[in-house]
Amino acid sequence: MTWRRLTVAAAVAALAATALLLGGVLRESSSAARASLAGAQAAEDFKEGFSLNRSTASLVADLQSRLRANPRDERSYALLGLAYQQRARETGDPSWYPRAEGALRRALALDSKDSIAVGGLGSLALSRHRFRDALVLGEKARALNPYSAQPLGVIGDAQVELGRYSQAFASFDRMNNLRPNLSSYARVSYGRELIGHTAAAIRAMRLAVDAATGAAEPTAWTHVQLGKLYFNHGRYRLAEREYRLALDVFPGYAYGLDALAQVLGAQDRYRQAITAEREAVDAIPLPQYVAALGDLYRLTGRRVEAQRQYELIGAIEKLLNANGVKTDLEIALFQVDHGIALRHALARARLARSERPSIDGNDVLGWALARNGRCAEALPYSKWSLRLGTQDALKFFHRGMIERCLGRTEAARGWFRRALDLNPRFSILWSPLARRYAS
Amino acid sequence: MKRLVLLLVLASVALIAPLSAKAHPLGNFTINQYSRIQPSGDHLYLLYVLDLAEIPTFQAKPQVAAEGQAAYANRLARSIGRHLHLIVDGRREALVPIRHVLAFPPGQAGLRTTRLEVVFEGPTLTGRSTVDYRDTNYAGRIGWKEITVRPSSGAEVLSSDAPSKSVSSELLAYPKNLLQSPLDVVSARAEVEPGSGSGATPVLLPRNVLEQRVGVRAVADGGFASLIARDNLSPGFIALSILIAMFWGAAHAFSPGHGKSIVAAYLVGSRGTSRHAAFLGMTVTVTHTIGVFALGLVTLSLSAFIVPDQLYPWLNLASALLIVAVGISVLRWRVREWRRRTPPGQGHHHDHSHSHGHGHHHHHHEHDQALSPRRLLGIGVSGGIVPCPTALVVLLAAISLHRVGYGLVLILAFSAGLAAAMTGIGLVAVTAKRTFERVDFNGGVIRLLPALSAVVVLGLGLAMTVRALPRLG
Repeated sequence: MTWRRLTVAAAVAALAATALLLGGVLRESSSAARASLAGAQAAEDFKEGFSLNRSTASLVADLQSRLRANPRDERSYALLGLAYQQRARETGDPSWYPRAEGALRRALALDSKDSIAVGGLGSLALSRHRFRDALVLGEKARALNPYSAQPLGVIGDAQVELGRYSQAFASFDRMNNLRPNLSSYARVSYGRELIGHTAAAIRAMRLAVDAATGAAEPTAWTHVQLGKLYFNHGRYRLAEREYRLALDVFPGYAYGLDALAQVLGAQDRYRQAITAEREAVDAIPLPQYVAALGDLYRLTGRRVEAQRQYELIGAIEKLLNANGVKTDLEIALFQVDHGIALRHALARARLARSERPSIDGNDVLGWALARNGRCAEALPYSKWSLRLGTQDALKFFHRGMIERCLGRTEAARGWFRRALDLNPRFSILWSPLARRYAS
Repeated sequence: MKRLVLLLVLASVALIAPLSAKAHPLGNFTINQYSRIQPSGDHLYLLYVLDLAEIPTFQAKPQVAAEGQAAYANRLARSIGRHLHLIVDGRREALVPIRHVLAFPPGQAGLRTTRLEVVFEGPTLTGRSTVDYRDTNYAGRIGWKEITVRPSSGAEVLSSDAPSKSVSSELLAYPKNLLQSPLDVVSARAEVEPGSGSGATPVLLPRNVLEQRVGVRAVADGGFASLIARDNLSPGFIALSILIAMFWGAAHAFSPGHGKSIVAAYLVGSRGTSRHAAFLGMTVTVTHTIGVFALGLVTLSLSAFIVPDQLYPWLNLASALLIVAVGISVLRWRVREWRRRTPPGQGHHHDHSHSHGHGHHHHHHEHDQALSPRRLLGIGVSGGIVPCPTALVVLLAAISLHRVGYGLVLILAFSAGLAAAMTGIGLVAVTAKRTFERVDFNGGVIRLLPALSAVVVLGLGLAMTVRALPRLG
């Protein structure tokens, strides 16, 4: 029986960590992925436990059979809820989320003070972009178990999305003190990236990569994150290497395929880029992936196919609306970028910013205002989005466009040059324009 | 006041209850595959079901449009066959598509889903054989992948690593059990003993049935529709299934629509008796049964021109207008009545208030004309005129399976169950009202009740009309 107890203990540790992994699949934007950092932590904990090779699928099967034998085992239900979330991340299949929620709620019905279940609902709320709910749930879980790192991760990730950066960094620090591991390294890296300390961010993410040696998906995820840091600073070869490593570890990883397509596009290797992006779309047709594929088609003159992708986004948007999924920010950005229904897009961006008053929310709203010709209004949002000192070429470009529209050509040129110096091919859609306006 | 609150609650429930199509139960971008390996007599058949959720269906749209539906289905069936690997006693055998049905059942947000069912014919088995099967279609795509092995016509399965029964009802009802992971089974191995003679080929439902049947899979009363498709019908099972059908009919009465609140509001306001409630129930049964048959006939004979989907909005509108008419007619009568009474002491008038204290006394002079057979009929017809899609599916399935008699019986039972529930609701309303009257002597609300009820009926009818209109696109 001690073996059994040990298994449970290991599973608890692993899954408490995994709980942070949100639906990385739904949160592609660079800010989004952070919340799923802890994915890598699962590997860490599997190592600290003992079942290094144990796959989430077998853990799920194990917990299910345990629950069939003893349906009042609330701890197993909570763990199952976390394991289902990890499965969602591994497969990209969103039908795991309602299952996860059901299992967590069952756990809470059996014991309303189960901190793992509360924390699990918190990470679920993050993956559904319900950041205020996530914050509340994270605090509640933390009150129930002050020595667990998981709730701090949920709290910090929610604070980032809500634009409360100093509080978020404090949460990440606390988490790191409590438990220095992959999950907290990756968060530290993200914090450094936000305040523009790129080299330090890359160092921290490398630590995270080193710490991730067990489960495939978390390892792959960390490689992709590191690759994105490289990409954002124009180091395409290094980025591509990381993405390929990720795909070696976890073949068919949509998140990695999409990133790979981006870096291939930046190097004018469009045919390969299209192949990779199409694979990503086939695996999980997220609006961001579909838009990227459409852009690649458009760039290579395949207008009909491009149009087809853009139409698909319309269908996806309808479905997301019908399901109450909040992806206003992503859809607004797509519409603004492609000049579709600009006034509608602006309303959407406003809504998105009120839900997510982060630097990304402000940036997209500023960009939406600018594309609607309301550049004076746009300026404060752009300033806000750059106030942390984040080194993000796209945000620089947006600022340049706003300055240009306000007639300040010289200042605009400065922003375009900054964007291009940082990442000369930051966007297949916009970097050519930036180059034209910079000279 | 309590009753007013109750009426308002009933009204709001009726209005809010959603009628929109459900999302694909497994997520909008899944591709779901099911294989039923069926040794039948000395033949080996395979029934293959492909279920594409909204997004893959949308992605395939240009292709379908370019090729035409028939060519698309043909090509898809052949391409699926090429990616199925069947090995019998070590030898690779071909699977030839012999018939198929393609349907586009409604999905979420006005989008469609795709359902393709294909019957493949495999080799003739000469003796005990080992069958190895692998499905390599859509490898790496997310979705439910299931295989079953089910013998028929004298063939036997000696051992198999796949079950004989589908947990998803062949991709019609995905389990909601928390302890059930999505299946991901793409291969199976079985030991089979063939029967003698060529066995029956697996049956496919016609397209319009399939479209309806899939459409209702999310509507929770799949239990009723599944009765008709049972393989063996013993007398005991038929008796049991009649009870089950009645149960589903009753359960269906509590799903949105069907004017429960209208029945209640009407009977409460118009001093109805148990007899009236029963009459209403009867009307609902008869109308509903006739409605199902009529719509079934239309669907079958005019399927090339009319899709039931397009008919439903009109039926909803008809039902709503009927209620508006009843509401107006009752209200007009109440107003006239009230006018006649206002000048005090003028000849012939009904003083309603005196009878409210004594519920049983009311069979003297006043015969409430709101309960005229015509109006009652109107209410009853409006409650039954929109046939329940499940009942329609059962009828169509019954016809396609050559079980028309059994289907008729099931639908009658279903309608009877529906009527019983409606009558029950009516009786509760009538009884509740009497109890209420006995307690409440000053009867402020009571006196207003008849008019109020007419207003509620009218309001509900108008709301239904407004809701029915945009669907007529």
